[in-house]
Amino acid sequence: MAREQGAITPAPEVVVEFLSRIMPFRELDDELLHEVARRIRVDFFPKGTWLLTMGESEVRYLYLIQQGGVKSFLTDEEGKTTLKDYRGDGEYVGALGIIRGTVANMNVETVEDTFCFLLPRDYFLELINSQPGFAQYYLKSFSEKIVSTAYTELRKHRVARRSDEDLFLFSLTVGDIIGRRLRSLPVTASVQEAATVMMRYSVGSLLLHGGNPEEIVGIVTDKDLRNKVVAAGGSYALPVGTIMTAPVVTLNARAVCFDALITMMSSGIHHLGVEENGRIVGVITSHDIMLLQGSSPYSLFKEIGRQQYFPPLYALAQKIPAVIRNLINEGAKAGNIVRMIALLNDQMLARVLQLVERELGPPPLPYCWLLFGSEGRREQAFKTDQDNGLLYADPQGAEQREQAAEYFGRLAARVVDHLVNCGYPPCADRIMAANPRWCQPLAVWQGYFAGWIQSGDRQELVKALVLFDFRSGHGHAALAEELRDSVVRLTRNHQAYLAPLVADCLAAKTPPAVFRDMVVEEDGRQGTLLDIKHQGLAPFVNFARILALRHGIRETNTLARFSVLAKEGYLEEELLVKAQEACEIQMHLRLIHQLHQMEEGILPDSSLSPGELSEVEKKMLRDGFALVGRLKGLLQQLLAG
Amino acid sequence: MKLERIFPWLRRPDQVLVRNREYFSNFDRRQPLAAYDFVVCDTELTGLHKRRDEIISIGAVRISSLQIELSRTFHSLVRPVNIDANQATLVHRITPEQLKQAPLMAEVLPGFIEFCGQGVLVGHFVGLDLHFLNQAAKGLLGGSLASPSVDTMQMVRGYREFAGRQRSGFVDQAGSLVLDDLTREFRLPRFKPHDALEDALQTAYLFIFLAKKLQGLGVRTLQELERLVRSTTEDPFL
Repeated sequence: MAREQGAITPAPEVVVEFLSRIMPFRELDDELLHEVARRIRVDFFPKGTWLLTMGESEVRYLYLIQQGGVKSFLTDEEGKTTLKDYRGDGEYVGALGIIRGTVANMNVETVEDTFCFLLPRDYFLELINSQPGFAQYYLKSFSEKIVSTAYTELRKHRVARRSDEDLFLFSLTVGDIIGRRLRSLPVTASVQEAATVMMRYSVGSLLLHGGNPEEIVGIVTDKDLRNKVVAAGGSYALPVGTIMTAPVVTLNARAVCFDALITMMSSGIHHLGVEENGRIVGVITSHDIMLLQGSSPYSLFKEIGRQQYFPPLYALAQKIPAVIRNLINEGAKAGNIVRMIALLNDQMLARVLQLVERELGPPPLPYCWLLFGSEGRREQAFKTDQDNGLLYADPQGAEQREQAAEYFGRLAARVVDHLVNCGYPPCADRIMAANPRWCQPLAVWQGYFAGWIQSGDRQELVKALVLFDFRSGHGHAALAEELRDSVVRLTRNHQAYLAPLVADCLAAKTPPAVFRDMVVEEDGRQGTLLDIKHQGLAPFVNFARILALRHGIRETNTLARFSVLAKEGYLEEELLVKAQEACEIQMHLRLIHQLHQMEEGILPDSSLSPGELSEVEKKMLRDGFALVGRLKGLLQQLLAG
Repeated sequence: MKLERIFPWLRRPDQVLVRNREYFSNFDRRQPLAAYDFVVCDTELTGLHKRRDEIISIGAVRISSLQIELSRTFHSLVRPVNIDANQATLVHRITPEQLKQAPLMAEVLPGFIEFCGQGVLVGHFVGLDLHFLNQAAKGLLGGSLASPSVDTMQMVRGYREFAGRQRSGFVDQAGSLVLDDLTREFRLPRFKPHDALEDALQTAYLFIFLAKKLQGLGVRTLQELERLVRSTTEDPFL
């Protein structure tokens, strides 16, 4: 019994037991777990002890809370504090400071008598470096926190403007904000009854059921009453079922408010059903979110839609970065942030088009404003170049053809100019709707794609590749869908055109290795800058695009393409998670980098200097880049198959 | 040899004891608590008879900067000279078989004193542990330990009195002084009473809790701590 002889100091069971319950320690094998336990010191901090002081304390330990509780908060120059987080039993403090090698980025104070297990910094770093699961665990929870740290730093340099920092968008679930009791009526009730019930309970919407109150079939809002009955001169005796919206757009009660916001903004629906265990338990409205939100994305979104003249619209475009900064600050993931950027840019585009239409009179034919490249993939960071085109329904006869070409030519020219004024610079390759080549009826567009797919002209195809990521930005989305249909159909019959693309993708250089302060390419060339767009993200984007085309997937967003590919069994789950993570971290780093540049009045680019990255961020980049090899392997199989 | 046995003070003390005495010959008690090393120890006994009973296990853990160092623990069973282990089995869940295989006190004690080093001894009712340790040390090593000691039980009394006087002017010493009850009262993380090491750890938790609470009340140095502890009524048991 070695344990009883005092020969080997036993790791106290209580620590081993504690560690084996918490992530990521519980992933360690038994021997290492005991080794870790032996490194630990126990400390006690009475309630009210300051463990760390923002911007001052060096973080010497990872604090694992054995029992008790701490709060972390920020203090600004005026001494105003903002609460960021509470942590309790089994949670940790200090990992971020250790990993980034910075002083504490927040104040941490015990709110109860607290016992902590302290793991010395150097040993913790050793684990981070030697245990892959470890780095991943902390980084995952940081991919969000990294960003807010970057912002703490920004704040300290006093470049950032002050803004509200509520965490609600990501901390509150939609279940949390259901304010009213659920009111429902049978679909057979009259419009007048519905109005009476709405008045009595002062609610703006009612859920409708077909007899069984548990089974909601639709929703009616005060706007429906106004627009579909009163304004339309309809009868108040009409069954309310005839004017309802069905089915109700629902969201799980555990979804965060940010999801609700995204859903509302992208669907234009202001009342969402909140669903729990398959049942609708309440309704939340855009008003509920607005109340929480003050002056954030949604109000900007609405404000853009309300503008009647261009100059104020240009001014609003300048507000987008500030709103995005708030989101980053609140801890949004990069994938969500770029979606939000896309939504706001789309709204801007929609308003510009509406205003221009008002100047020119109604269009002679239905049309659709197409977005290409990163905009088409909903992946643009700040202020990317315009990549757009205009697609209109096929004209009947020469006269209409001429009229359409003339009208849409003028429309496109004006819109592109206004977009430039809003801060979206023109495309260097002139892939813009103002270029007559990219302002064409459906048949011509179909012809373009058929040409690229069938001709086998490799150079033309490669040049046109960004156009394959088209989506509808505004207008008749059905036209874009029709174009997508024909691309999918063409692809199905001409798989061969993908071969040169696959070959290009395979021949492309693997992303460079990122070291302390330099970037080393495959061929040994050294540089000081990493172009995260072209060197880092491009292989993932290209890979996702080729596989999406190959398998007839209509989605254009890279993360979403990965998801669909995995769902349909073309991508292993493990690779999916890793690839998405690799993309997210890169998008994150790019967003922060660009925000920094904009704060300093520099035109944003994608060239990162390794010096501005922490060791961990570099490690994450290296891990992500290592995936490229595996993706290439998959492509090779595709080529062979 | 015979004389030494009859008059133990004639015997030259063992090297470990000499070192132990050197450590504490010019001991400065005016340093802040965090500057000292403490060794929290717990012994298990065959019984409570002061002359007849013996130590059957020792557990200890070191504290520096008022942090418990889990990498520095001591734990050993001790084979008693008079092995009547039936009782031991009952009280401590140590089997007679384990005791028969354990080393004798003569082998264990020097290592333990070595482990204590320059640390101040801490124990719950530490006087009892010290009595048996010194009894063994006198017989085996020719002298007793010079290490200063702090009793957590007395610290509790001091803390209750101090805190009570500061808070309400009313001192309630009615509370239990049993380690297990104190753990519950102060809501410390709990260990299953398992062996001498776990008991020492539990006591160590109590010690850092009290030390830091008392620090908050103005007790800064070892001297101040000892004064506080001594000023409270001595336990009539010893």
